[in-house]
Amino acid sequence: MFGLAQFIKKFLKKTDKPGLEESPDELRSMFKARYWSFKQLLSSNNIALEMMADIERGLRSNQSFGMAFIRANSTAISVNVYRIIQNMNAISSDRYIALYEVFEQIRDKINNILEERKEFGKGDWVLPLEAINKDMADQVGGKMANLGEIASRVGLLVPEGFVVTASSYEFFLEHNYLQEEINRRVQPLDLEQMEMLHKASADIQQLIIRSPLPSELEKAILSAYGRLEVKSRKGINVSLRSSAIGEDSEKLSFAGQYGTRLNVSREFLSHSYKEILASKYSPQAITYRLTMGFRDEDIRMCVGCMAMVEAVASGVMYSRDPGDIRSNVAVINAVWGLAKSVVDGTVSPDLFVVSKEEPKQILKKEIRTKDRKFVCFPEEGVCRMAVTGEEKNEPAITDEQALLLAGLAARLEDHYGRPQDIEWSIGKDGIVRILQSRPLRQMEAKAVKEATRLKKVAEPVILDGGVTACPGVASGPAFLVNTTVDVLRFPSGAVLVAEHSLPQWASVLNRAVAVVTDHGGVAGHLATVSREFNLPALFNTLEAASKIENGAIVTVDASGRKVYAGKVESLLQGAPIERVSLMKGSPVYNTLEKVLEHVAPLDLTDPDGDNFRPKGCRTYHDITRFCHEKAVKEMFDFGKDHHFQERSSKQLVCDVPMQWWVIDLEDGFKGPAEDNTVKLDNIASVPMLALWEGITAIPWKGPPPVDTKGLVSVMLRSTMDPSLDVTRRSRYIEKNYFMISQHFCNLTSRFGFHFSTVEAFLGDRPKENYVSFNFNGGGADYDRRVNRVRFIEHILKKFDFRVEVNGDCIVARLEGYDQDFLIERLKVLGYLSIHTRQLDMIMGNDAAINYYMNQIVSDIHSFVSL
Amino acid sequence: MEEFRVLVVDDEDDFRETFVNRLQRRNLDVDGVESGEKALEWLDKHLYDVCILDVKMPGMDGVETLREMKTKRPLMEVIMLTGHASVESGIEGMKLGAFDYIMKPADIDELMEKMRQAHEKKTLHEEKIRQAKIKELEGHPARVFEQIREEGT
Repeated sequence: MFGLAQFIKKFLKKTDKPGLEESPDELRSMFKARYWSFKQLLSSNNIALEMMADIERGLRSNQSFGMAFIRANSTAISVNVYRIIQNMNAISSDRYIALYEVFEQIRDKINNILEERKEFGKGDWVLPLEAINKDMADQVGGKMANLGEIASRVGLLVPEGFVVTASSYEFFLEHNYLQEEINRRVQPLDLEQMEMLHKASADIQQLIIRSPLPSELEKAILSAYGRLEVKSRKGINVSLRSSAIGEDSEKLSFAGQYGTRLNVSREFLSHSYKEILASKYSPQAITYRLTMGFRDEDIRMCVGCMAMVEAVASGVMYSRDPGDIRSNVAVINAVWGLAKSVVDGTVSPDLFVVSKEEPKQILKKEIRTKDRKFVCFPEEGVCRMAVTGEEKNEPAITDEQALLLAGLAARLEDHYGRPQDIEWSIGKDGIVRILQSRPLRQMEAKAVKEATRLKKVAEPVILDGGVTACPGVASGPAFLVNTTVDVLRFPSGAVLVAEHSLPQWASVLNRAVAVVTDHGGVAGHLATVSREFNLPALFNTLEAASKIENGAIVTVDASGRKVYAGKVESLLQGAPIERVSLMKGSPVYNTLEKVLEHVAPLDLTDPDGDNFRPKGCRTYHDITRFCHEKAVKEMFDFGKDHHFQERSSKQLVCDVPMQWWVIDLEDGFKGPAEDNTVKLDNIASVPMLALWEGITAIPWKGPPPVDTKGLVSVMLRSTMDPSLDVTRRSRYIEKNYFMISQHFCNLTSRFGFHFSTVEAFLGDRPKENYVSFNFNGGGADYDRRVNRVRFIEHILKKFDFRVEVNGDCIVARLEGYDQDFLIERLKVLGYLSIHTRQLDMIMGNDAAINYYMNQIVSDIHSFVSL
Repeated sequence: MEEFRVLVVDDEDDFRETFVNRLQRRNLDVDGVESGEKALEWLDKHLYDVCILDVKMPGMDGVETLREMKTKRPLMEVIMLTGHASVESGIEGMKLGAFDYIMKPADIDELMEKMRQAHEKKTLHEEKIRQAKIKELEGHPARVFEQIREEGT
C-alpha cells in the first residue's frame, strides 16, 4: 500500500506543474488512483462512524466496560481517522496537510486522558498511626487515614499500630517490575469469562507474593514493628488491614474486596503484607472494579498494621439507622469473639437499637443464637470455635456496653459531621477500641416495594423470614454456591443461594439477580455489596440452602422476606427488569465521557460556513465530516479541473424537481454521455437504479403541514445559527451527488438542514456486498430531530437494517446479502431519503407520527417486494 | 477445637514448608510430602483426616493422585489446591470426590476453615457408617464375628 501511495503522490505532483497537459490515458489512471483512495476513505469513514456509535452506546447501556474497551476503541477510531486523512490528501494532491496537525492535537488530548494517573502523596514508607489524620488519605488510604484521625484528633482508643504507605507499594512494584506484567494480564479481562478471570487473579496474586520485598523496605517495616513492640509488648501479634487509595467514592464502600490478616506473627509479617497487596487482584475485587468502573491503576494498596486485640466481643455499629436516617438512634450488631464473623456473615449477630437522646436508652434488643465465634490461636492465626451451653444464647454485650458504644457512635458522627459505619472490639481488659469508621451508606428508601407484603400470592411459599439486606423482588433459577467450582459455573440471571454470606461470593453478584443466605446480617460485606449492586437480598433465613432446590425457578421477595416457588408475576410487576448502570459517574465512565468529548460531537455541519476548514475541526467526527464533504467535491471537480470530459459530472435528466449530478467512476454508464447530461437509460449502475426506483416510486407530496410549535422551533434554530438559514442559498443546498460504477453507488444529499449519504456495493459475491446509510441534521429542535431519527430507525429495523442511533445521527448497515435482497432495501432507502424530509416538523405530535408511520410503511410495501 | 491430622502434598518446597509451618502454629498435626507417589506411600503407613493436594505436579498429577487416594482411603477428605482454575479440572476433581477446590494463593485462615468443614463432613460420614453397622448387628448379632474377622485382616 505504501508503494501505491508513493506512486500516487509522485503522480499527482506532476499535475501541480502548470502548463503540463495530461494525455487521456494518464488522466484515466490518475482518476483511477483517486477513486481507489476515495473508496478507502469511505470505508474508513464508515468504520469510524460505526465505532463512534458503538463506544457511545457504552455510556448508555447497563453493561460494564473497562479501560481496555476505551483504549481499544479510541485506538481503532484514531487509526481510521488517520487513514481518512491520508486518503483525503491522496485525492487532493496534499491540499489538506493541515489535517494532520489537527489530528495530532486531538490524539494527544485523548492520550493524555487515557494515560492520566492519579497522583498520590509521596513520602515515608511507614507512618505511625498517631502521626496520621484524615487529610493524609492520599498516602495511607481512606481507612487508615480515618483511623489515624480517630486516634490523633477525636481521642478515642484504637489499637497501637502503623501504616505501610502508598510509597512502599509503588517501590515494591517498581523494584520487581511488576506493573507491566500485571497490566498485561488485567487488560484483556472480561466479566463474562469467569475462568479466565480466576486464572488471571491466581497468576497475578502469586506473582506478587513470590516477588521479594526490597530489603530496605522490609527493614523499615520490621523496625516499625519493633517500635510497636516497645509500646505494647514483646512478640505481639498484629492484624493487617488493607487501606486502598483511589476507592474514595460517595456511593461505594469496597466492603470486603481486599484481604485482612488477623493475628500475624513477626515472622510472617512481610509475607502477609504481600498477601494483602495481592488481594487487590482477588476475583471479587477485579469483578467489583470492572462492574463499578474503577481504574485498576488508580488503586494503590496501603496496609495498616495494628496490635491484635484479643476480643471478647466485637461488632459493627451504625450511628444512624440506615433504613431511617432521620431517627436519632444507633444500631449495634454484636457477636462473641472477633468481628470477623459479622463481616463474613458467618454468624447472625445480636441487634441493639439505642436512642442517642439523653438519657440514652435501649429501644430494641434482639438476641440471636451465636453458636460460633472466631478467636486467636496462641501462636498465630485465628480459628472458628463452637460456642456451647448457655453462652450462645446470651447477649454478647451488656446493656451498659451498648449505651457506651452508642455514645462513641455519636461522638464519631459529630466529629465527621455525617453518619458513620463503625467496627469496634472489646478486649479481655474490657476496653472498647475502634477498628474502623467510615461514612454510612443508607439503604435507599423503597417504600413502594415494602407494599409487597400486602399482595396476595398464589404460589407456594418456600421460605418465610430472615432479614432484608437489600429490598426488592427478582426471579430466576436457584443456584447453590458452596465451592469455588460453583462460583466458576454460576450462570447469568440466577438466584445466588448460599449457607453463609461470605465476601468471596461477591464475585458472582454481577451475574446474579438476587441473593438468599442461611446466615449473615445486614452489616456484612456481602450485604453491603448486594446493596451497591442493587440486588434483592434476603439473609439469615436459616434454611435456604436446604429448602431451595438447586435449579428450581424461585421468586425472591427480599422486601416481604419471603421466597416463593416459581415466577410470581404479580410481585415482579413494577420491579425493574433491566439493571441500572452501576458505572455512571465512576472513574472509568468519566474517562470515556472525557474521551468522547474529543471524538463524537459534530460541530462542523455547514460546508459553506467560515469554519469549514481543517483548523475548524475540533473532534474526530468533525474531521470525518469535513473529509467526506471535501472528498466528494474533489471527485466531482476532477473532470472540470482537468478538462476531462469523460470524468466530469453530468446532470441527470429527470422529472424529479431537484438537481441530481452523476459522476461515472469507471463503468457506471452504458455508453459515453453527451456533453453535460446523462439520461437514465444510459445508467448501468445496479445500486443507483435501485435507489432511483425508490426515489421516484411515489411522488413527494411536499412538506407535511407543520404544527406551530414545529415551525417556531425551526425558525428559532435558524436565528441562533445563521448557517442553517434556509433562505441562504448555496450551490450545495439542493444538489444530490451520485458517484457510480456498475456495482457501486454513493449518494450524497443535502436538503436544507438534512445531510445524508447512501452507499452500496452490489456484486455477485454476497460476502462483499453492503448497503450503508448515514443521516443527520434537521431544522427543528433537538428533541424533534431525535424523534425523527427514532422514527427512521423504527422503519429501517422493519427492513432488516442494523441501526445505530447516536443523538440525532443515524448509521444503518446491511452486509453479506445477495443482490436481489439488497436491491429491495435500496429502494426503501431511496423512498425514505425523499419522504422523511422535514418530518421532524411534526415530530411533537403523536397522532401525526402514527399517521406518517402507517403511510410510509404502506407506501413502501406498494413497490418493494420482500 | 477438635484435633485432626492433615497431609499437605505439593511439589514446591518453599510453599509446602511454609504452609506446614504455619498450620503447625495453628495447633494442627501436619505432614508434608512433595509428590503424589510419596503421598500414596505415606497413606499406607499413616492415617489422615484431611489432605491438601496440589493439582499441578510433575509425575503423578493431582487428579490421578486423588483417584488413587479415594480407593485407598475413601473417608479421607481431599481439598484440591490450584493456581489455574478451570471448570473442567474442578468438576473432574469434585466428581472423584474432592471436598472443595481452592485457588492459590489461599488465605491460610480461610483454608483452616475449609479443612474444619471437611473434617466435620468426615466425622458425620463415619458416624453414619457406625450407626449403620450397629443397626446391622442388632438385626444379625452373629455378624459381629464376621466384622471382627474383617477388621483383623
